[in-house]
This record gives sequence, structure tokens and C-alpha cells, in this order.
Amino acid sequence: MADRADWQRALESELRATSRQLDVPPAGDSSAAVRQRLEARAATHRHMPRVRPGNFARRPAWRAALILVLAALAVLLATPQGRAVITHVLRLAGVEIRQGPGPTPSARRTASLPGEQRMSLEKARHQVSFPILVPAALGRPAEVVVSDSGRVASLIYRRTRYGKVLVDEFAGRLDPILFEKFVNFRDVTKVEVKGREGLWIRGPHMLMYVNRAGIPATASARLTTGNTLIWGTRQVALRLEGNLGKGTALVIANSAR
Amino acid sequence: MRSAIDDAEAVARARGGDLDAYAALVARYTTRAHRAAFLLGAAEESDDVVQEAFVKAFRHLSRFRVGEPFSPWLLRIVANETRNLTRSRRRRAALALRLPSPESDGTSPTGPVDEVLAAELRAELVAAVNTLPDRERRVLVCRYFLDLSEAETAQVLDWPLGSVKSRTSRALSRLRGQLTPKEQYQVFNG
Repeated sequence: MADRADWQRALESELRATSRQLDVPPAGDSSAAVRQRLEARAATHRHMPRVRPGNFARRPAWRAALILVLAALAVLLATPQGRAVITHVLRLAGVEIRQGPGPTPSARRTASLPGEQRMSLEKARHQVSFPILVPAALGRPAEVVVSDSGRVASLIYRRTRYGKVLVDEFAGRLDPILFEKFVNFRDVTKVEVKGREGLWIRGPHMLMYVNRAGIPATASARLTTGNTLIWGTRQVALRLEGNLGKGTALVIANSAR
Repeated sequence: MRSAIDDAEAVARARGGDLDAYAALVARYTTRAHRAAFLLGAAEESDDVVQEAFVKAFRHLSRFRVGEPFSPWLLRIVANETRNLTRSRRRRAALALRLPSPESDGTSPTGPVDEVLAAELRAELVAAVNTLPDRERRVLVCRYFLDLSEAETAQVLDWPLGSVKSRTSRALSRLRGQLTPKEQYQVFNG
């Protein structure tokens, strides 16, 4: 029927026109990660296709992650703890990651860190003891908040193409724990950011700030949004949170300077 | 600088273990693979899906028939990975398809009336596509948003060609039924 073909054609062309306007975030650069995984695979497998070694042999990252997981599970099983089912499993750059349900979120509508102060990026740089890194991939933050007398700086990006994105920064390589996370361990994978170890946590989890006295601040307990990447440089530790894929998060992390 | 190599040559070299040749394919098809993953419902995990698909594709290169186009072969793996992901999430990828919100580019819809109407119509069309049953939505994504032929769609979704045709036709009818008369007028007479 000619009539039917007409409306179909019109609808098809409207769909094609709409296609060009669909909101699709830019693709992350997966080439390095793919290569790394293929090289890692070549180092442990002798299957086809064989891979010619690249410039440098990389450690099989997934294997390391697996060993880490097994070790953590061993800890989990071997150390029955008096309090609850919470067991310390991982520590990285001022963040302690535990497997368990975590505390109930703050009763207040908005969880907050102690002594939050909103200020300009320039002022914030004077208030904290570590260099504040800004991911070039995200640009200038909409807001900068310094908490707990300069212990933590948070860069807030309210409107990115991924929605709200948060970057918490604090002095790296410190023994004291600043954040506790309560996650399901299978959501955690080890990643590499600029040659250093990082952790990728898939999905929302409970997050709580730990103050200078080592006491968790219950008012800070909240459920995170999206996914989280934690990594450190020599001087600063960072926590990136938002509705980001792993590839995108790594691109953002690698652009921090 | 190495000169650009074509897909067939890149595949042949990659099969022999040449990671540089495979990197050329990854670079060439990342954007397309990512768009497919995102629109088929991988949402914020699209980059992960793409990475996984490229790793799997490399392992399965021996199954790739020489002379066959690389893109649909790769997209089939992408579609599969996306499906595994959305299945494991046990929910449909809501809001997988959307138009940029008016605020995001800083402009409010104050253009000529036609443009405002066209924008409203498209928003309604996208919303209607989002409500379609999963199979119908996927076939429309492949055919019109990824610009694949019927045969390529059949390959990517791993369906018989006849199913692609019948589901496309059913999806279009359903869409037409969902659009309000005003939009139908716009689309079909405008």
C-alpha cells in the first residue's frame, strides 16, 4: 500500500535525522587498556594468536587483582572480628575499603564533611598542604569546597555530560585513613593510573569520612553515586565519583595535573 | 609514521600477533563501537563494554572470515557484551536514548517555532522509542541510529533476516501509534 510506505518512509527519515542529535558521550580511549590486557594475556597464555612482545612487558593486571581478591578473601575468612561482619580488606591512599553493609546513611538530607567551606580554587590552594590537581578532561570545577581545616579539598562539577562529578583530594601517602568505604568486594578491581596502583569500584557504596582522631564522622555517611576511582600521586590522593565508565574515569584521572 | 593499512590487512597482521596492527583497528572502530554500546543500553559502562569487546574480538580473530567487513563482525560482539551486561543488571537500560537537554548547551528553546516544534517532536519520538519492547528498540537502534543495513542488523543482533524485517515493521507501526496526532501531522505531512 502506497500510503503505508509513505508514512514509513517519513518515520524512517525522522528517526535518521534524530539519530544525529542523540546525546552520546564521547568514547574513552580504550586502546591502551586493550593493549595492556592483550599483552598480559600473551604473557600468561600460549594460545593463538601469539603476540609479539611490545616495548615493555606489563604485569598481568587482572591476575594481580585476582591474587588481591583471594588474599582479601583469605583475610576475610581468617579474621573473625568481634564487631559486626565488617572486615578491613584494602587500603589505598588514605582510603580503607571494607566488605560489609556499612553504616546507615546520615539522617540529615545532605551528608557533609566536617567544617565544609566553599571557596575559590585559588584560595583553596592556599588552605591545603597538598597540591590540588585539576583533571584537564573536566576543566575548571563549578565549586571548590575545603573541609576539616584543609584536610580535604573537593572539586565539584555540577553539570558535566556524565551528570554531577565529584573529585575529593587529600594529602597522599599518609597512614591515617580519611575515608572508609563499604563495598561488595567483587565490585572492586585494581587499575593503573600513571604507573601507580588505583582501585576501581563499580556501583554505589557507603562512604564515610574518618576524622583526625580516627573516628568515623557519622554525619558524613552517604551512599555514593555511580562508580568510583581511587588513586594517588606522590603527594596527593584522589577519589573520583560519578556516573562514569571505567575508561572515562581513567581518562579523567590521567588528565589530572 | 606508518601508512594507513586497510581492515583486511590489519586483521591478517593482528592474527599473526601484531598488536600495532590491532591497535589500528581499535583506533578506527572505537567511536563506532562505543556509540553502538551506548545506544544499545550499556549507558555509563559503554567504555568497559568496548574494551571487553575488543579483547574478545582479538581472541576470536581466527573465526573472522577473510574478506568479510570488520565493523558488523565487531558490533555483534559489542551487542552481545551489552546484552550480557544489561541482563546481569536485571533491568532495562532506562534513558539509554536521550537528546541533549536544553540547558546542557546553555541555550533555551527560543529558536524559530519550527525548530522548537521539531525539537519537541524528536523528544517525543525518542521517548516513544525508549518505551518499545526490547527487541523492537534494538532493531530500530541498529537500523536508524547505527545506520546498519537489514543484513548487517541481522548479523549484529544474531537474528534471521526475516525477524529483522518483521520487527522493524512492527516497531515502526507501534511508534506511529504512540505519537500524538499533532506529531503525526508534523512527521507525515510536514
